[in-house]
Amino acid sequence: MAAEAIGWWGVPLSILAGTLRGSAPFLFVSLGECLTEKSGKINLGLEGTLLTGAMSAYAISYLASDKWGIPTSVSPWLGVLVAGCAGMILGFIHAWLSQQPKVNDIAVGIAMIIFGSGIAFFFGKAFIQPKAPQLPTIDLGGWSTMPALQSALKISPLFIFGILLAPLMAWFFKSTRWGLFVRAVGDSPDAALAMGVSIKRVRMLCIIAGSFLAGIGGACLSLYYPGLWSESISSGQGLMAVALVIFARWNPIQCLWASLFFGGAQAIGPALQSVGVDQGRYLFNAMPYILTLLIMIITCSPKKTLSGAPGALGTING
Amino acid sequence: MAEVANSIDQNPIDQVDQATPTVIHAAAPPDLEVVNMTKRFGSLVALDNVSLHLKPATFHALLGENGAGKSTLVKCIMGFYRPTHGDVLVDHHSREIDSPRDAQRYGIGMVYQHFTSVPAMTVAENLVLSRLESPSVINWKQEMEHLATFMESSPFKVPLELPVSQLAAGQKQKLEILKQLYLKSRILILDEPTSVLTPSEADEVLGLIREQVTDRKLSVLIISHKFREVTAFCDEITVLRKGKFAGTGLVKDLAVSDMAEMMMGEKREPTPVKKTAQGEITPVLQVQEMRANKDNGVEAVQGLSLTVNTGEIVGIAGISGNGQREFVEVLAGQRSPTGGQILVNGEAYGMTRSEMYKHRVFVLPEEPLKNACVAHMSVAENLALRTFDLPPQAMGILVLFKAIREMATGLITSFKIKTPSPETPVGNLSGGNVQRTVLARELSADHINLLIAANPCFGLDFAMVDTIHTQILAARNRGVAVLLVSEDLDELLKLSDRILVISEGNFTYDSPIEQADFKAIGQAMAGH
Amino acid sequence: MALSRSNWRSTAESIVIPLAALLVALVLFGIFCMFAGKNPFAVYGAIYKTAFGSWNAFQGTLLRAAPLMLTALCTALPARLGLMVIGNEGALVLGGLGAAAVGLILSYGSITPNPAQLQTTLGLAPTVVQIGMALGGIVAGGIWIAIVGALRHYRAVNETISSLLMNYIAIALLNHLVEGPWKDPASLNKPSSFPIPEMYRLGNIGSTRIHYGLIYGLVACAIAYFLIQHTTFGFAARTAGGNVKAARIAGLPVGQLTIIICFLAGSCAGLAGMVEVAAVQGQANASIVAGYGYAGILVAFIARYNALAAVVVAILLGGIINSGGALQRSFGMPDATVLVFQGLVFLVVLYSESLYGRFKVFKEPEIPMTPPPVPSTAVPV
Repeated sequence: MAAEAIGWWGVPLSILAGTLRGSAPFLFVSLGECLTEKSGKINLGLEGTLLTGAMSAYAISYLASDKWGIPTSVSPWLGVLVAGCAGMILGFIHAWLSQQPKVNDIAVGIAMIIFGSGIAFFFGKAFIQPKAPQLPTIDLGGWSTMPALQSALKISPLFIFGILLAPLMAWFFKSTRWGLFVRAVGDSPDAALAMGVSIKRVRMLCIIAGSFLAGIGGACLSLYYPGLWSESISSGQGLMAVALVIFARWNPIQCLWASLFFGGAQAIGPALQSVGVDQGRYLFNAMPYILTLLIMIITCSPKKTLSGAPGALGTING
Repeated sequence: MAEVANSIDQNPIDQVDQATPTVIHAAAPPDLEVVNMTKRFGSLVALDNVSLHLKPATFHALLGENGAGKSTLVKCIMGFYRPTHGDVLVDHHSREIDSPRDAQRYGIGMVYQHFTSVPAMTVAENLVLSRLESPSVINWKQEMEHLATFMESSPFKVPLELPVSQLAAGQKQKLEILKQLYLKSRILILDEPTSVLTPSEADEVLGLIREQVTDRKLSVLIISHKFREVTAFCDEITVLRKGKFAGTGLVKDLAVSDMAEMMMGEKREPTPVKKTAQGEITPVLQVQEMRANKDNGVEAVQGLSLTVNTGEIVGIAGISGNGQREFVEVLAGQRSPTGGQILVNGEAYGMTRSEMYKHRVFVLPEEPLKNACVAHMSVAENLALRTFDLPPQAMGILVLFKAIREMATGLITSFKIKTPSPETPVGNLSGGNVQRTVLARELSADHINLLIAANPCFGLDFAMVDTIHTQILAARNRGVAVLLVSEDLDELLKLSDRILVISEGNFTYDSPIEQADFKAIGQAMAGH
Repeated sequence: MALSRSNWRSTAESIVIPLAALLVALVLFGIFCMFAGKNPFAVYGAIYKTAFGSWNAFQGTLLRAAPLMLTALCTALPARLGLMVIGNEGALVLGGLGAAAVGLILSYGSITPNPAQLQTTLGLAPTVVQIGMALGGIVAGGIWIAIVGALRHYRAVNETISSLLMNYIAIALLNHLVEGPWKDPASLNKPSSFPIPEMYRLGNIGSTRIHYGLIYGLVACAIAYFLIQHTTFGFAARTAGGNVKAARIAGLPVGQLTIIICFLAGSCAGLAGMVEVAAVQGQANASIVAGYGYAGILVAFIARYNALAAVVVAILLGGIINSGGALQRSFGMPDATVLVFQGLVFLVVLYSESLYGRFKVFKEPEIPMTPPPVPSTAVPV
């Protein structure tokens, strides 16, 4: 971002931009993980899903417009769709495996991070160079004359969709039969069983849906911001989103606020860099991780279970 | 009673419509019959050709020792298990019940001992969700109105907006029963419903249910082992013993001793309690103003003080959920207290390993597999849990497995632990044998100073219970100070020298056993 | 996981099932290769050749296996306590930094010596400096993971998430130091710390091209095995890992056990970092992050957290990782291929976890026992 011309104003602008643009992946992944964890399962593998989603969105967007003759206004959306589907496939693998008896949720998540990253990098090698059509953006900053402000306020419809998804999910958990089922399964599988709910089915659907959202989160990375594909496009965002859900106490609306917060925090490093603060840039870039760790330290407590934690979270099948 | 029921009992079958929820108006509850039911789990035969007939509008008790198959039978009726053979007849028609939802369709509902409401959801949410055909999108305004109306006309009230996790155990149990009334069940199965209720709450609940039965609104099948309740409220009993049918009859025709004989198969008297007089009495355990919290941060133990002397059994009675679990966990070292002091033999006690060894403190916790054993470690290793770092089982930092095995072999024989080998993982053993393992470990030491036992006989059959009681008494007679926390009042009345009652984290009763007043104890359990 | 059954059946089960899983993973990988348009058997052949095909190739495999043995312990040791720690990479990095710091101070008296004076060292014996570097790696890596353990015990912070976050923080720290305060001005293309003098680096074993890191790995695994299986500390740890409540009722100090085990775990990975600095790179730079951390998790897992089995698995996996370069050259497959393979193995081995106890041939003969009482509280799954 060309912030040199506006001097130190570039910093809060960058942070604003980061909040609006950089929080989209956090938003989708954390909402997806929120859904999964409400049903009582942890999916740590979302980091791999994020990467696979990013890669497939980018690849399909490029291939569609370049090779299949689909107009550049449509191809990124096709990419988003495929990213979600890729997420669903990975989610299915995770769901199936983690529900086998004696299999450890967390270990499956770690395996999926490795597998998901591997798949993403393997197939993505060919797409690092080409430029894929990006998602359209809405220019909220049209009224301004500052190019920096204009570009900060370019937001994607996906982001808006994400913002709307949070209250939708909250309503889902409160006022729909299926939402209540999910909460029952996650809090007390015994009670759910007595109600005749199939615990396996509910969890599988939640994990797959959660992964779908994570895939879309990946699409945000490669087709919105930063809008490219490379192997370093994600640096633990999937993981941070999982920690985010704990911080947000499994409440979708609080996931929204937390995602915005993290998006902004992530932008601090690059923002300072762009005004020439180069010393310790690695440490500033490590801010999100340090922040996540601090938040977890403050939020968790050994003396009592976290309020809002689904009762069945952390128990191993069989 | 039975004669009256039979004459009205001609319900046309086509009133039962499987597609819509069954509510049979102005007619008696359906007839329920189990015919020749067998249920096998692998090579284990849990039920063997059992039959039972629950006549419409009767209050029927299902009796039997722990492990007799009562739970298995009702779970087959409710559709949790598929029976290996046998039929369930509703109104004389054979029905396939594959899930609790199916059972609900036929108007059969069950109140479990373990609450089946979702703790994180409110009472209202739980009730609405339990309906067979709850709507996909819930209009809360409407539902709350319906629920309020329902609450007005129901025999007990539970606050609708509270999350279930914040209800007391008694309220949770009432909610379970309310849920069935809300679902308009006609046949109610109750699994030990009064175990978490005070004696007066139990009478209240059973009395109200009895009224519904007399009004011909309900048929009830109750699993109970409390003869007092059976004789006061039930019409008929069926007895199971070791998975087989062992007798049936009308309550008015049977004496309690007859029922007990059907349950155990013979006239069995428990070993008589012989307490020897103790010489010098010194305090061993002194608890001063102990405070502790539950897992969710709420205070469970609110400043408890007590003393246990040598050669004395101090019993703590109370309904589960009143803080006794947290109290025992603190003494056992599994929970950190938030206040107070604990002294053993006059010295401050911090529940560390060296202090446990020095003061010879031993613990028999409830649910031994969950609390005192490592399931995947061998029986021998579990037996060595307190001694593996001392000679002869350890030499410096080296563990000598041969010595561990030797001790284990000896204990397996003397405590009659049934295990294929000392190397078998303890999790493979049956419940009784796990309990024997823990007993062997805790009671075999040369010198025991203080023994803390919590519900040591839960879920065990009569013979095992007798063994444990004998062991505890023998320890007491040897001079061991025993703290016995139990939800079984009879057990406490039988063994204790002094009896206390815990209610909501406080002691509400304290007296030597000779002066124990059953009625006052019951009131103290309710918090009066 | 049943880790302490000691009859022949369960040992056989513990070997047959993971081996079968590895074979299945190989087959799945072959199918993956077919999708990518490569002949799976040719790929298998290439992997075998570069991994085990010749003494020279095998040396390369052992070179890769050495750090894997060490980083595997970073996951295997806490797993005995029931903790899932994946901070291997971070501990390795910290260990490398610690070793570099100690090494430079013992060589020149400072981490950033005057470039003009690089010819003269303080004159300490090589053994002294090497022991110092090893200690530096051990302590730095150990403290890093001990923090994870402390956070888990005192603040109930999930150790998987915290250790993974610490990985990223460690790498950021590494980059910051080698591009900033510790930078050797002579290292232009690849920012690094000052190099450790040749004479202080870990040499090779005999006339092979395998450095002494292999010995470190073998010794560490042997000590770890002995510690867990034969000492009172290990017994206590296994108890706490099996059931914390039972450990507490026996008065075992769970917090102490947690932090000590985490320290030991981190120190092993830290030692691997020291080896990277003192034997492979010669200096601390971004290259010491070579993916050994994550592969170490896989090794620990396939070896079912058994330190001796980890040696064998490390060699197997080391061979496969070694072939990554050959696959790229001969088949044009990106180096992510090895990552895919690792992921497949991990998933299949995970699935195989659910197979334990399902095969009759591995079951102990059943002795008919009195039926367990079915408690009313249990609702079946």
